Amino acid sequence: MKQLFPRLSLAVALAVPALLAQAADQKQIERGEYLARASDCMACHTAPGGAPFAGGQPIVSPFGTIYGTNITPDKEHGIGQYSDDEFFAAVTQGKRRDGANLYPAMPYTSYHLMSREDSDAIHAYLQTVEPINRAAPVTSLSFPFNVRLGLMGWNMLYGKDVQLAPADGKSEAWKRGQYMVDVLGHCGECHTPRGLPGAMQQDKRLTGGLLNGYLAPSLLADDLAARGWTHQDLSTFLKHGMSAQGTMFNEMFPVFHNSTVGLNDQDLAAMATFLLGDQPPQARTLAAVPTDKLSASAQRGRQHYLNVCAGCHGVEGEGKPHIAVAMQGNTTLRLEDSRNLVRVIEDGIGEQKFAGFEHMQPMPAFADKLSTEQLADLVNYLRQAWGGQPTELAVNQVEQLKADASAEHKAH
Amino acid sequence: MANRPLQLTLNGQSVGPVEVPDDLPMIDYLHEYRNLTGSRLGCGQGICHACVVIVDNPDGTSEEVRTCITGAHFFDGKKVRTIEGHAHRDESGKVTELNPIQQKFVDKFAFQCSYCAPGFVNAATVLVEKLQRQPIKKSQMEQVIEDSLGHHICRCTGYVRYYSATRDVLLDLDLVKEG
Repeated sequence: MKQLFPRLSLAVALAVPALLAQAADQKQIERGEYLARASDCMACHTAPGGAPFAGGQPIVSPFGTIYGTNITPDKEHGIGQYSDDEFFAAVTQGKRRDGANLYPAMPYTSYHLMSREDSDAIHAYLQTVEPINRAAPVTSLSFPFNVRLGLMGWNMLYGKDVQLAPADGKSEAWKRGQYMVDVLGHCGECHTPRGLPGAMQQDKRLTGGLLNGYLAPSLLADDLAARGWTHQDLSTFLKHGMSAQGTMFNEMFPVFHNSTVGLNDQDLAAMATFLLGDQPPQARTLAAVPTDKLSASAQRGRQHYLNVCAGCHGVEGEGKPHIAVAMQGNTTLRLEDSRNLVRVIEDGIGEQKFAGFEHMQPMPAFADKLSTEQLADLVNYLRQAWGGQPTELAVNQVEQLKADASAEHKAH
Repeated sequence: MANRPLQLTLNGQSVGPVEVPDDLPMIDYLHEYRNLTGSRLGCGQGICHACVVIVDNPDGTSEEVRTCITGAHFFDGKKVRTIEGHAHRDESGKVTELNPIQQKFVDKFAFQCSYCAPGFVNAATVLVEKLQRQPIKKSQMEQVIEDSLGHHICRCTGYVRYYSATRDVLLDLDLVKEG
């Protein structure tokens, strides 16, 4: 017995640090999984129906189609040979392990402010996913964008451009929200307009951008408030993919499933705090507009609405739970730019499944069902009745938006 | 809600103008104003397709339209066929002959409770008319039937016999070519 105790003590002395290290590793991996979700790595690095992080998601750009790469720990086609240093360089500087430049579809212009600790955690997590021994499709861009060396020049001119707004005097929640929105979430990559070389226009940060023919709307506090957003609504929208203002759709829908649905309430609230500010502006409410106050076009549009929309969206635009969103308070109707409204009516929206049992039924496409004149009247009605947008759209403006939509369909 | 005049052609007969509310769903117009109760109100959300009618377009094509989510005034000036309009009748109004789809559905016991049957008859009728304009190859037949009937819901799960009966009609009417 005398001998047994010292042996046990030795065993415990050796095992405890190993267990603690293992627990720390596990904690780092879990943290990395959360941060990978917050950074929405899946959006580009997982093809529809494909293995997680195995790449293959096509990203259509004006310069050609770029394919998300395989970032599983596979040593041949993935990032299995990356060290923490190399991973950090790839994420924050767009530098591949072999020294080549990554295409700026990789949002290192946003990630460049990611902390080393967070990068290491994401790397630790990615090393635990199933390695997939398959190369992602090869990206082929038109000249001169296919010359990776040329990206060095692009990086010198435009890379690392995202500069955070001063945080002096801001709350801790605001600062956390800024990191979540501007760095990890890289929201500005879509919600900021891009100039000709494809770089974000930093002086117009979060003022709205165009993506595949849809408007990624302005996220500035005053613009959000003008469209009726409150702090609570924004948090709810990010957590559930829907709120009183409508549902996430188009390019924002996968963001919900890949990213925001899995974020904790504290971070979601922080994102809302950052976007609306520590002292949010008053959300604008709209009074119902009586029918006789509508323009002639909008009055014609009202009958089109009753004919083909009211069955699901309600006669008074009240919507139906689990079927169709309300028009009252809908954020898309409140956008001055009617592009998204026209596109949604033209293209429809497929059935949407949200968290739990929540879902919305498919919305039909009306491209072949409504004439351009009818569409213009309908859009004018929706904007005037529930959008607070009295500006009339002329038929030729709707014609142009339809032509833009058609060109986008061909491009994809 | 205000009333407004509605005029349409319904099963070959000109109807109206008659004043109906501007937000009246077509299914209610058929049931309450025309006493045509064959079009069924199922889900009321545009999903089950038990309520579909056929609209004959000016270009000679025909299409299904869901009446539970479409307002009556959408059909103003249009030519509409409902389930009541397919069979031949004698002067007293008695049915003397079903259309080929209806007859085959009966022969093949395609439906059980029949609630979805009017929708399936209309969908298959639209398909027959489409193939009469443009026949298909035999290799395409299964997919074309799926594309035409797949969005209709039958809670008695009669799909196999609906599809089988439709397949027989397409072959009987020589709408499917070898290949």
